[in-house]
Amino acid sequence: MKAIQKFAVTAAMVLFIATVIVPLLWVVVSSFKSSQEVFESPWALPAVMKWSNYSKAWGEAGIGRYAFNSLVVTVGALLILIPMSAMAAYVFAKFPFKGSKFLFGTFLGGMMFPNFLVILPLFLLLNSMGLTDTKLGLIIVYVAYSLSFTIFVLTGFFHSIPNELAEAATMDGCTLNMTFWKVMLPLAKPGLIVVGIFNAIGLWNEYGLAKVLMSEEPNKTLPLGIAHLATTQQFQSDWGALFAGLVIVMLPVLIVYWFFRDKIHETMLAGAVKG
Amino acid sequence: MKRTERTRFIITFLAPAVLTYAIFVILPLIQAFGFSVYRWKGISSQRKWVGLQNYTNALSDPAFRVTITNTFYLLIVVGIAVFIFAPAVATATTGKGPFAKFIRGVYLFPQVISMVVVAILWMFLLNPNYGLVNATLQLVGINVKQKSWLGDPSTALPSVAVVFIWYALGFYIMLFGAALQSVPEEVKEAAELDGASGFKKFIKVLWPMIWSIKRVAATYIVINVVNIFALVFLLTKGAPDRATEVPLTYLYEQAFGNSQFGYSSALAVLVFVMALMLSGIVMLIFRRDPMEPQRGSGR
Repeated sequence: MKAIQKFAVTAAMVLFIATVIVPLLWVVVSSFKSSQEVFESPWALPAVMKWSNYSKAWGEAGIGRYAFNSLVVTVGALLILIPMSAMAAYVFAKFPFKGSKFLFGTFLGGMMFPNFLVILPLFLLLNSMGLTDTKLGLIIVYVAYSLSFTIFVLTGFFHSIPNELAEAATMDGCTLNMTFWKVMLPLAKPGLIVVGIFNAIGLWNEYGLAKVLMSEEPNKTLPLGIAHLATTQQFQSDWGALFAGLVIVMLPVLIVYWFFRDKIHETMLAGAVKG
Repeated sequence: MKRTERTRFIITFLAPAVLTYAIFVILPLIQAFGFSVYRWKGISSQRKWVGLQNYTNALSDPAFRVTITNTFYLLIVVGIAVFIFAPAVATATTGKGPFAKFIRGVYLFPQVISMVVVAILWMFLLNPNYGLVNATLQLVGINVKQKSWLGDPSTALPSVAVVFIWYALGFYIMLFGAALQSVPEEVKEAAELDGASGFKKFIKVLWPMIWSIKRVAATYIVINVVNIFALVFLLTKGAPDRATEVPLTYLYEQAFGNSQFGYSSALAVLVFVMALMLSGIVMLIFRRDPMEPQRGSGR
């Protein structure tokens, strides 16, 4: 009886995990097929590996340019977001002042507000600043909308670092400013890495804000570009290349996720349960 | 430490984040409410104050009503699926074996790849002619001919629900998994000594102990379902005949397709109020922890 039960559970789990993995593997396998093979035999393996799908996707279909844009926007946003959030989080964790709880709460509130509420005013604001359809505009918006979560996680991290180290540094004649950059920030490195990876994945994947703020072809990020390719007729004859494009979008994220998955789970849970 | 030095330090360290947040998050948020009382069509046109007219129009707008009905359908279907499958998978994968570990690594895959990839992937999977779904059904002997799951009004919204569940389930498995792990080992062992095992142990002992995570999960279902945009926008564009239209795709159409700035802002506020009310209802339903009755009555 117990053995049967155990077998049933394992079988159900295999089935479950197959529904997750098979579609993703299907994309990878299809990315090596010719259009005709995709069309005629969805379950079959490619007769010959068609690597040219990848060069076609990267060059002709513009995935290379989209990937470059996504990289610039993601890295640019992180380079501003991480120090900006760390500075604010350090103050919230170690330098409480009158009203600091309220200010922290205002930042946390941003995690509750859905983006769709601000999408139109945000578009008009950026438009009036001449920042729509620029990478800089998208970078600033990404920074602004990632602040809440990042400050929340990093404040928790700075809380866990004992005060003695900062005090010793001040005794040695460090200014508050120097203490932060030379002592505290290096100590917070593990937290900065986790929150950086977490944001990198989210920004690399982001669609809604980019869709509204970036409408011109040359500035499109990967999610916008691949959605454009899939929904316009232009590339509908070359399925193989489109699948190759999908692989290029999802593979970097899956690799990064796989290496940091325990930390990512932890961060997601912290945000979900306490936030 | 001098007082002025401390104050100056606090101001310079907070200023960048506070200014960025105030200009690009708080200001648009306030404007969103302000816009909703104007008739305002397009960037160049004049704003005209119309009071609550946008709101009354929205409430009698048949298209908007359809999106609300669709949202409730998705909430119920997704809610039921999540509350059955997520605790089940979480319970089955709490072990320390390599297989359980592997599953715990993989179930978040749909969640970490872009929603855009999820939508396009399923666009192909559900394709009537060469999609994997029809090919698989054909393979096991179910003759579906060239069934267009997303094109048929009767199967379009259920298909969207299935895709959304495929995307979202991992997150909820993770939530329930973490909650189950936080149940003390002694409790689990005591239950087994009493002869409770498997399903019975879960229902009688573990399920009541993870009360607070159910509230978190239900709240997230509300937030995530109300926020569905990219999935429907790319998968069906709300078609056929608004059968899959959701509030945010309709809002997008009104704001950026028809340039109805005032009206779309009123829609945004209404959707937000609806989400708040639904979250409130969730809080009410899961308000009291039945394991700790004294908490409610003591005050």
